[in-house]
Order: sequence, then structure tokens, then C-alpha cells
Amino acid sequence: MSTQALQHSSSQQLASFVRLNEGIKGVVLIAFQINIMALNAILLSHRAGEVALGFGVISKELRTLSVELTGLMQELSSDAYQAVNLISDLLRRERRQHLLQATRQQLPQPLPALDAILAERLQVFQARGQQVREVRLRLLDRLEEARKLCQFGTAISRSAKIEAAYGREYGRALAEVSQDFDQKIQTILPSIETLCAGMQRI
Amino acid sequence: MKSATTIYQEGNHRWVVIARDAAKPGYVIDTNEYLISRDGDNLLTDPGGSEIFPAVFAALSTVVDPMSINRLFASHQDPDIISSLGLWLDCNPKIRCHVSRLWDSFIPHFGGDDQSLQSIPDEGQHIPLGQGQLEAVPAHYLHSSGNFHLYDPDARILFSGDVGAALLPPDEGELFVRDFDQHIRHAEGFHRRWMGSTEAKLDWCERASRLKIDMMCPQHGAIFQGEDVMRFINWFAELPVGLSTFRHRRLA
Repeated sequence: MSTQALQHSSSQQLASFVRLNEGIKGVVLIAFQINIMALNAILLSHRAGEVALGFGVISKELRTLSVELTGLMQELSSDAYQAVNLISDLLRRERRQHLLQATRQQLPQPLPALDAILAERLQVFQARGQQVREVRLRLLDRLEEARKLCQFGTAISRSAKIEAAYGREYGRALAEVSQDFDQKIQTILPSIETLCAGMQRI
Repeated sequence: MKSATTIYQEGNHRWVVIARDAAKPGYVIDTNEYLISRDGDNLLTDPGGSEIFPAVFAALSTVVDPMSINRLFASHQDPDIISSLGLWLDCNPKIRCHVSRLWDSFIPHFGGDDQSLQSIPDEGQHIPLGQGQLEAVPAHYLHSSGNFHLYDPDARILFSGDVGAALLPPDEGELFVRDFDQHIRHAEGFHRRWMGSTEAKLDWCERASRLKIDMMCPQHGAIFQGEDVMRFINWFAELPVGLSTFRHRRLA
């Protein structure tokens, strides 16, 4: 692949990781909202007493889920930051490699010392590329973990809807909360899918 | 590709100018680099920007092993002066770059670190080269606030950075100034705008007039030699520069 093509490819990767980081911010915001909602739901279920015991358990689960999701997103964000650093370094190296190659082409006679430098730089460059690929795979694993977590969230938000039906005089309030849970979880899932798809395309 | 021309040679002591890149893209300012060699030591003045590195390196290779360049001298911190530092360090990690102490933490944005950058104190210093030495001559505020020229007392050559620079039209690419009056028209606008301080200018003119200079070598344009050196110093001393001329222009 030519240096220009490599640069283009690294620039695209950089843009993808930056987009990933922006997507993570969105998920973290929703996870925070779920956390607050779950806290309120726990308080509500306490007020409702025995009729909302099950709902309280589910709310705690959702709260735990939101904390786990936030932690996972922080790890993802840290990986994305590392990837951005690596790719920035890669781009800088690509540019220098391009200039050194141009230098080599302009030389009236071959200069073995320069060839050796180019070969050495190429090795470092390839090692950096490998590091980027490793970070990307780690990101994909974490995104997969996040997707499973959200699928679990979808399942328990449905359970919350069922539990709300047993809430008697609190039934309406609990149903509203469970509806909100469901909506929030449903919002996260496509975001995670988009992030996964973005990473797979790199 | 740029061409390399020897402008001074005395035994193992040599000055070579790297100049005039016909293939250079129009949007990049043309620059002169000077190789000073003495007893196996090789110093390159204002090695230039990254974009012109291939042309400079290739031209140098016609007169010296470019890997043997062990010192760089940066008159100041501008990208056309020293943004190629990272590439030079790629070629020779032991290379040392002499630059004003003001810029030793700025230039690492182009490459290098506290090992590769050698700070020059404000008052200037001697820089050893082979069996001789060069003098880093203060030229602060001409135009950068941390600015040095490089004087070779044995060759009687002053590398004057942006002082004496001219933005020459493509059809006037002579290496040496042939007709001072004709040439200086291309230097006037540059000096009026880039040289910000009359006080600094007069101080430099006074000091430069006391040096024995056979050739004054700017980073852009053509080289002054013989009587044209003093002619330039006198012209520069008289030239209104800096903010006063800028204000005047705005009012006009």
C-alpha cells in the first residue's frame, strides 16, 4: 500500500475512533439517567412496600447495570484515547516515512544508511499498526460485552413492566417508571450496535 | 532539486550554499541552507521545513555524506527554519541543534528533546566546529524575540538569518547580489514588516559594522559580498521598520 493510501487509511481510523468516543459519551449520559431513574424507582418501591418488592429488586439490578455500563464505557473511552494517540503517532510516522522515501528517490546515488533507517522505521511503523489492531480488537470485545449487558437490561426492564402490574395503587407510577427504563435501554442498544459496526468497518 | 554551491574553501574549511529549488511548490517560501564544514565537523544552518527536507538532503549528498551532519543551527523557531528537525534526528539521533534558549521547549513540537537541543544564552556563545569556532551573534527581535546569526571569523562570513533576506521573483534567481539597488527593492517590504524593532535594528547594524564580513548570507534571497555588505548595513540602518511603518500604512 502506498504511503498516501496508508495515510488515508490511518486518517479514516482516527476519525472512527474519535466518532466512537463521541458515541461513548452518549451512552454514558443515558447510563447516568438510568442510574438516577433506578434510584428513584428503589425509593418508590420502598414506599409501595410489599406490593413492589419484586420491582425494587429489578430496580437495584438496573442500577447495578448502569454502573457496570458506565465502567465499561470508561474503559472503552480509555482504549479509544489510546487508539487516537497511537494513530496520531502513526500518522506522524507515515508523514516522515513519506518524506524520507521522497528523499531517497531524489538522491543521485543510493545511500545505504538511509535505506537502513527506512527499513528500521518501517518495522516500528508496522509494530504501531499491530498495536492499533490490538486496541481495536479489545474495543470490539468490550463493545460486545456492553451489548450483552444491554440485552440483559432489556430483559429486566420487561420484567419491571410485569412487576409493575402487581403494584396495586402504585401500579400506574411503577408502570411509568418501567416504561421509562425500557425506553432508555432501547435507546442505548442501537448506539452500541452503531459503535460496533463502526469498529468492524475499520 | 536544490543545488549545492561552494562559496568558500580554505583547506578543510568550507561553506556550501544549498539553494534555488526549481521543483519547489509555489506555496512554500524558498530558503537557503548553508553547510559549514571544518575538519570533519559539519554544521547546517537553518535546515528548513519538512517539505523541503528531501531537496535539501539530496543536494547535500552531492557534496557531503548527509549522515555526517552533526550540528544544526536554527536562527529562530519558525517552521521554514527548523520544522525538519525530526527528520534530521531520524537520520542521525546524535545530531545537536543550537538555538536560542527561548525556543528550546517550543521546537520539540517539531521534534527533538532536551538532549538534542542546545540552548544559546541571550548574550550569544562560541560554537566549536573542527579546530575552529563559530560565534552565535545576538540578533534578537530581528525578527524573532530569540534570534541569532552565525559568524565565522576565519571565513569572514556572517549567516544573517532573515536579515538581508529578499523575496526574489522567479526570473531573478542569482545566488549573489549583482546590482545592489536593483536587488534591495525585493528586500525592502520584507524588512519593513518582519523587522519589528528600530532599536534592535540599530544595535545590530552597529555591531555588524564592526565585524569583518566578506559575505553576508541570508536565509532567503541572494548573498551580499564585498562592499555590498556595508551597503546593506547602511541601507538597513536608515530603513524605517516595525509598527510605525505599519501604522503609517494603515492611515494612508
